Amino acid sequence: MSSPTAGSVAIAPAVDQRHGRRTALALLPFAVLVAFFLLLPTAALIWGSFHDQAGGMTLANYSYVGHPIDLVPFANSLKLSLASTIVGGLIGLLIAQAIVSSRRPIVQEISTTFGSVAANFAGVPLAFAFIATLGNNGMLTVLLRSSGIDIYEGGFKLYSLVGLTIVYAYWEIPLMVLVMLPPLQAMKKSWREAAEILGASRWQYMRSVAIPILMTPFISSLLLLYANAFGAYATAYGLTTGFVALVPIQISNLVNGDITFDPGQADALAIGLAVIMAICIGGRAILERRSARWLSR
Amino acid sequence: MAYDPVLSRIDELSGAFTAGKIERRQFLKGLLGLGLALPAVNLIVAACSSAAATGSPAASGAAGFDLAALTSAAKGEGHIYQTGIPPEWVNYQAIFDLWKTNYGIAIDGTTTEGEYTSGQEIDSIKNTGKPDVGDVGLSFAVQAKTQSLSQPYKHSYWADVPDTAKDADGYWCCNYWGAQAFVVNTDAVKIPITDWKDLLDPSLKNSVGIDGDPTKANDSFFAVWSAAVGNGGGIDNIQPGIDFMNQLQQSGNLTAARANDTNIIAGEVKVAIKWDYLGLAVRDKAAGAPNISVTIPSSGSLASPYADIISAKAPHPNAAKLWQEHVYSDAAQLLFLKGYAHPIRFDALQAAGKIPADLAAKLPSADLYKKVTLVTDIAKITAAQATLGTGWKIVVNS
Repeated sequence: MSSPTAGSVAIAPAVDQRHGRRTALALLPFAVLVAFFLLLPTAALIWGSFHDQAGGMTLANYSYVGHPIDLVPFANSLKLSLASTIVGGLIGLLIAQAIVSSRRPIVQEISTTFGSVAANFAGVPLAFAFIATLGNNGMLTVLLRSSGIDIYEGGFKLYSLVGLTIVYAYWEIPLMVLVMLPPLQAMKKSWREAAEILGASRWQYMRSVAIPILMTPFISSLLLLYANAFGAYATAYGLTTGFVALVPIQISNLVNGDITFDPGQADALAIGLAVIMAICIGGRAILERRSARWLSR
Repeated sequence: MAYDPVLSRIDELSGAFTAGKIERRQFLKGLLGLGLALPAVNLIVAACSSAAATGSPAASGAAGFDLAALTSAAKGEGHIYQTGIPPEWVNYQAIFDLWKTNYGIAIDGTTTEGEYTSGQEIDSIKNTGKPDVGDVGLSFAVQAKTQSLSQPYKHSYWADVPDTAKDADGYWCCNYWGAQAFVVNTDAVKIPITDWKDLLDPSLKNSVGIDGDPTKANDSFFAVWSAAVGNGGGIDNIQPGIDFMNQLQQSGNLTAARANDTNIIAGEVKVAIKWDYLGLAVRDKAAGAPNISVTIPSSGSLASPYADIISAKAPHPNAAKLWQEHVYSDAAQLLFLKGYAHPIRFDALQAAGKIPADLAAKLPSADLYKKVTLVTDIAKITAAQATLGTGWKIVVNS
């Protein structure tokens, strides 16, 4: 682990003007990247969402806002993302803490390696893995059925929001572990010892020291999980062939389908998605400010 | 009026010529053979020509069709360039092999353009000018005619092809079709599945699947549309099909698992509604694990054809025409059937008793196919797609 001084030395010279210019130059590739892969596409989306297929200005693409049935995909996407974020976030946090507490380098190495693989195992292969395990005729389902527990009889369906939440948790948990390990590892043993020497109980240490410090990385991680779930497409489509309506699947149907082709409406849906993401990021900023206040208190 | 054999023969010949059954040359020969004077012959031909021209340009007829002349002209060209005709699709490899044995003309384009989609085939015909023939989805065949990218040719089996499955002017002809069928895992499903209403049985919870999102995939689109046929709708009205799917969804019988080979073999989808040829192929692939049976709904279903076109710019026009003669011949049509695609001359072959018993035994009974409607009207397809676009949301989103 690097010492804290090494970090502060690197930041200080940035104030120097010559370095400032050099920094600006170094930022150029990033700026180009942002321009071409974020700003330009966003501008194209906004433009497209206000134009019909003939190229005339229109608001019709946003008519979905007034149709309850067209808002179902948004509700589904929100529910799915929220559920998989909560499940993935909590379990991931507990596992990350357990890994840090183990204090065995080999455990940490193995778990980060596995985590990186699992966090990127998605799409159609993951969908098939789950069909083979928890599907109507999956191994676990059949095993449980033979011991008298029929989960499908009990109302469970892999091809539903609940099923998708479980599948999404498969990569959300390792992702949470990966992003929470560094802040958890950064928690100094000495902070806890200092608190104990001053007579703090375990709960007081958690409330006054650990939670305020970890709040920001925790919320940021949850946001990452949320965005990850919100935009996921291939896994959901591979599993449910569109029977669970989600925003990314609706967008794909509009630009990719044999039957309906309406890029303008797809743009408008994407803008709707972007607005929701903006609200999430805004919410995070507010939360972060509050956690900063706790820290300063 | 007294019966005059010469006049009645003239009538017969004129009729055959105007209907496009014989060529001008044969018509002339026939009339001269009756001992008529040349001026009289010319008059008759002129009178009939205008009628024939509107009905059938470049028509050839079964009666006096000269395969040997076409074969030698095609052999002179030596090559045929095909687009979008892949060897592994509907048994085309066997049809290629038969072509090479019969005519020895080299087939080009298979490796480069064999896997082309219909849209790419049209692009290639338009932009490269290389292809002689293509195998396209029906709407693309119609599009090729409108854009003047194809040329007319009526092969010698033209009369066997139903009117709805060929262009009246000869610009395209359907070669084979698939029909929507029930693909049933008989190890898991204990009740007989013969018609649409059977799918609503309470024992089929989470068991019935379609092959993809019907707003995206042709296979499942036709599954929904076919359901209309058995539920009071039909080719003009897809809505009852959407309602039936909604009923299946509400009853909990419809599974979201896609009815692909993997899910059918794994038993995840126990009753799949999909193309018969895909179902028959997965039945063979599963080889008894599980046992799969394929049947056509007894109240009917829909079929979708592919079509042959000859490029307007075909560099080897005679080879292209000979290819049509080959594809529609008994032998090649039976090879389609062996690949589980129904050849367009199925009824004719069936009536003539030309379908081998061992092949027939591998297929759903020919009687069931009598209830199958071939969908060839592009306007109706477009209308059904539009209805589905809004209607399907209710199935999925509620």
